[in-house]
Amino acid sequence: MPFLRKLAFNLFTWSLVLLIAFPLFWMIVTSLKPQTELFRIPPTWLPETVTFEHYARLLFDTPFLLYFRNSVVLATTTTIFVVLLGTVGAYSLVRFKYRGRDTLAMLVLFTYLLPSVVLIIPLYLMMVELGLSNTLTSLVLAHTTFALPYALWLLRSFMEGVPEDLESAALVDGATRLGAFKDVILPQLLPGIISTALFTFILSWNEYLYALVLVNSDSARPLTTGVMTMLISAFNIEWSLLMAASVMMSLPLIIVFAFLQSYLTRGFGAGGVKG
Amino acid sequence: MSSTVIAAPLLERRYARLGALLIAPTIVVFSLVIVYPLLAAIYLSVFSIYTPTLEGEFVGIDNYIQLFTEPAFWQSLWTTLIWTVGTLSLQIVFGVGLALLLHQNLWFRSLARSLVLFPYFVSTVVAVLVWRWLFNDLYGAVNHGLMQLGITDMPVDWLGSMPNAMIGVILVGAWKYFPFVVIAVLARLQTIPDHLYEAAKIDGAGPISRFWDVTLPQLRSVLVVIILLRAIWDFKEFDLIFLLTGGGPVTSTQTLPLLVYQEAFALNNMGQAAAYSVGMMLVMLVFMLIYIRRTRRES
Amino acid sequence: MAEVELKDVRKEFGAFVALERLNISINAGEFVALLGPSGCGKSTTLRMLAGLEFPTSGEISIGGRVVNDVAPGKRDIAMVFQSYALYPHMTVGENIAYPLKKRGVPKADRAAAVAKAAALLQLDPLLDRKPKQLSGGQQQRVALGRALVREPKVFLLDEPLSNLDAKLRSYMRAELIELHRRIGKTMVYVTHDQLEAMTMADRIAVMHDGLLQQFDTPDAVYNRPANRFVAGFIGTPSMNQLEGEIAGDRFMIAGQSVPINRRLFKADMADGPVALGIRPEYITLSGGNVDASIRLIENTGHEQIVTLEIPGGHRLLARAPAGQPLSIGEALKIGFAPEAIHLFEIDGRGTRLNLDDPTPVVPLTPSKVAGDDH
Repeated sequence: MPFLRKLAFNLFTWSLVLLIAFPLFWMIVTSLKPQTELFRIPPTWLPETVTFEHYARLLFDTPFLLYFRNSVVLATTTTIFVVLLGTVGAYSLVRFKYRGRDTLAMLVLFTYLLPSVVLIIPLYLMMVELGLSNTLTSLVLAHTTFALPYALWLLRSFMEGVPEDLESAALVDGATRLGAFKDVILPQLLPGIISTALFTFILSWNEYLYALVLVNSDSARPLTTGVMTMLISAFNIEWSLLMAASVMMSLPLIIVFAFLQSYLTRGFGAGGVKG
Repeated sequence: MSSTVIAAPLLERRYARLGALLIAPTIVVFSLVIVYPLLAAIYLSVFSIYTPTLEGEFVGIDNYIQLFTEPAFWQSLWTTLIWTVGTLSLQIVFGVGLALLLHQNLWFRSLARSLVLFPYFVSTVVAVLVWRWLFNDLYGAVNHGLMQLGITDMPVDWLGSMPNAMIGVILVGAWKYFPFVVIAVLARLQTIPDHLYEAAKIDGAGPISRFWDVTLPQLRSVLVVIILLRAIWDFKEFDLIFLLTGGGPVTSTQTLPLLVYQEAFALNNMGQAAAYSVGMMLVMLVFMLIYIRRTRRES
Repeated sequence: MAEVELKDVRKEFGAFVALERLNISINAGEFVALLGPSGCGKSTTLRMLAGLEFPTSGEISIGGRVVNDVAPGKRDIAMVFQSYALYPHMTVGENIAYPLKKRGVPKADRAAAVAKAAALLQLDPLLDRKPKQLSGGQQQRVALGRALVREPKVFLLDEPLSNLDAKLRSYMRAELIELHRRIGKTMVYVTHDQLEAMTMADRIAVMHDGLLQQFDTPDAVYNRPANRFVAGFIGTPSMNQLEGEIAGDRFMIAGQSVPINRRLFKADMADGPVALGIRPEYITLSGGNVDASIRLIENTGHEQIVTLEIPGGHRLLARAPAGQPLSIGEALKIGFAPEAIHLFEIDGRGTRLNLDDPTPVVPLTPSKVAGDDH
């Protein structure tokens, strides 16, 4: 009897999981269907013939690779910048005492909840004035508005997870505060830093609104707005191309999921929710 | 009386200075890209600015009068509330439900968890593209599936008419963001000690009452935070709705963030848009305070 | 010249006063225990000695030098933490070598020093392991090794044995006593376990609510407690305390009277309310004049711990030899050995009223219990 119940439970749960994952499955399937099969009514659930022609077209006939490069540069730069500031900032907020520290921590929390829609107008004006409009630099700066508070929140959590005694022991052993940070805290913080870096990269990689408002030319355009532009400029919507583009856009995510998933869930536990 | 040191020891002050130094770069960046624009938004809201030329003039509180007297803001607010409540409810219900299922001993459990997490981390652009393809009235898999199952016999126009558009948007929002709830609840479930359930079993409680009397109270504190966070994030969501429907049909799915964008970049009224954004922030603030006070009173 | 000195040290955490005004002077080579219940300020004191915490006011000196402004690494101290605080990503050998590395000691000399410490603590086979592969006792020895290798003036130990099981704890206690004897350096040892303090320390600083209650040898703290707190804290089972009245040369409680020798107490001690303290081993179970009945008998194997009740509902603990026949409900006439009676003020700090007696009180052996001699 228990085995039947177990079976029913597993079937039920897995059906739900597959239902949730279906859109992504459909995305891959559509990208592999030849154009002729695509507009069949009723549509076929699995491709009758598998083709990579859409991927070829995407990579060689469209600015896709340019957009991809822009996204890589943008997300990497943002991540490095934010993680550097965030690590040092988290150390300060958690292990030092100075006036205004707690108000600062609260303000950080508060900015985490700000709508970017409020900031885009002044940021747009600011970038125009600084002569940075239409550059990747403007996007990096814009991305810090949401990436830095998030990274600080996550890193603060991870920092609090490093026992204070370790730093105390290092101090007694003759290390300076920064020396203790480098020798003892940083190695302990490393998994947390990797988690934060992954989260930040994905957030920056997926961002749309700032790219929409601040960048207008292909040279600085990242994947998110780039792919949508390909949608608008065409006369009819090239679904097969778009699905191939969607799969390619999700590549970094798939890699992270396949090999580094534990870092993601760890980050989720630490900074996602408290209490 | 022997010697006493009144001021804080030099060492203590040195440490404090180092701490302030380490947080300084963050503060500088913060002030530049968050604090300054925030104040600038409020400043801009008392001007009328024509977006393409960026020329403007001071108009005092005219933008705010327009905000109050004309229906655009209030309609958007109402739309935002429908969207938020709709998608949040689904996120919580499905999130908690799936977390409970994934907490059990499932075959290939970690694979299942990865698959469930995917929607959250995938780009909104990708999610929207996939769902627009799925919702396509002629070729979309959703319509095909519904017809195959016999639920409908005519293809449904999902994103082009109401109330379908709002339903569609709410569904996609739920699909995209419920994994956040799953992970957070799952993490909490894993910390509930087994002996609470054992004690309940000995007292004769069945599975439903065990959920109600043991699990739910333990989840309460996490759920309070999750609901607050998701409500805020859903309320300020721009990308998803903009890309799915653009606010349409007409303005029936135009939430407040979309209103601000349209006002600034389609209607070319930057000052007015700034006023709308300030209004939106105030609304959020009010809701947050009410929520926090309500939950603090209960605990 | 004192090796470690705290002068008028006060510590506030916002509105909370952790330490009122601490004055302690520790001599070179002494083993001093800071003993007290949680929250009494002993850990704070130790951390201030280490430089991990800063006094609100007052002066801290180590080796004759005022160290308020000196970084922890430069105070010539070493510390063993309750959690051991071993660096998880370094091997045992690297952990022990770390302080020397910070000091700039060349590699070869470092290796030699590590080998010496490892030999002393039997850590040789473990040098290449990581801390998480070690047992609690082994981790503790690594922490000790890391402290020893610095060859400091003062060792600070923060409840190092409290994470060990009882058997290992008594073994390590003996090891630490032996270690102190061997290296002869000053040790400041924080604990809440009065047995540890009593067996290991040269002097014990009993602390409570941020105040130093008594700073004296274990013998003095046991036999001449300075106030009611110390009296009740030291000794297991703890000293019995009864609140009653002095009338002439008798102590009255619930209609019972206990004879006392006024010459043993301060001359200005007035009649009136007072607290009487008597250790269980000094209560005689017969031949006295206080009515009591037996409420509970706990047989520990080598003795019996008897809970007695006297009129008024007051309970006392007494000791009896293992073989003595006793039964619950039995009515006895108990007595208190007069030279073992302590009197304390009933209010305030409950200060001791006995005259200081330089000769240690001779404890009654169990065989002397039946049949009094005074």
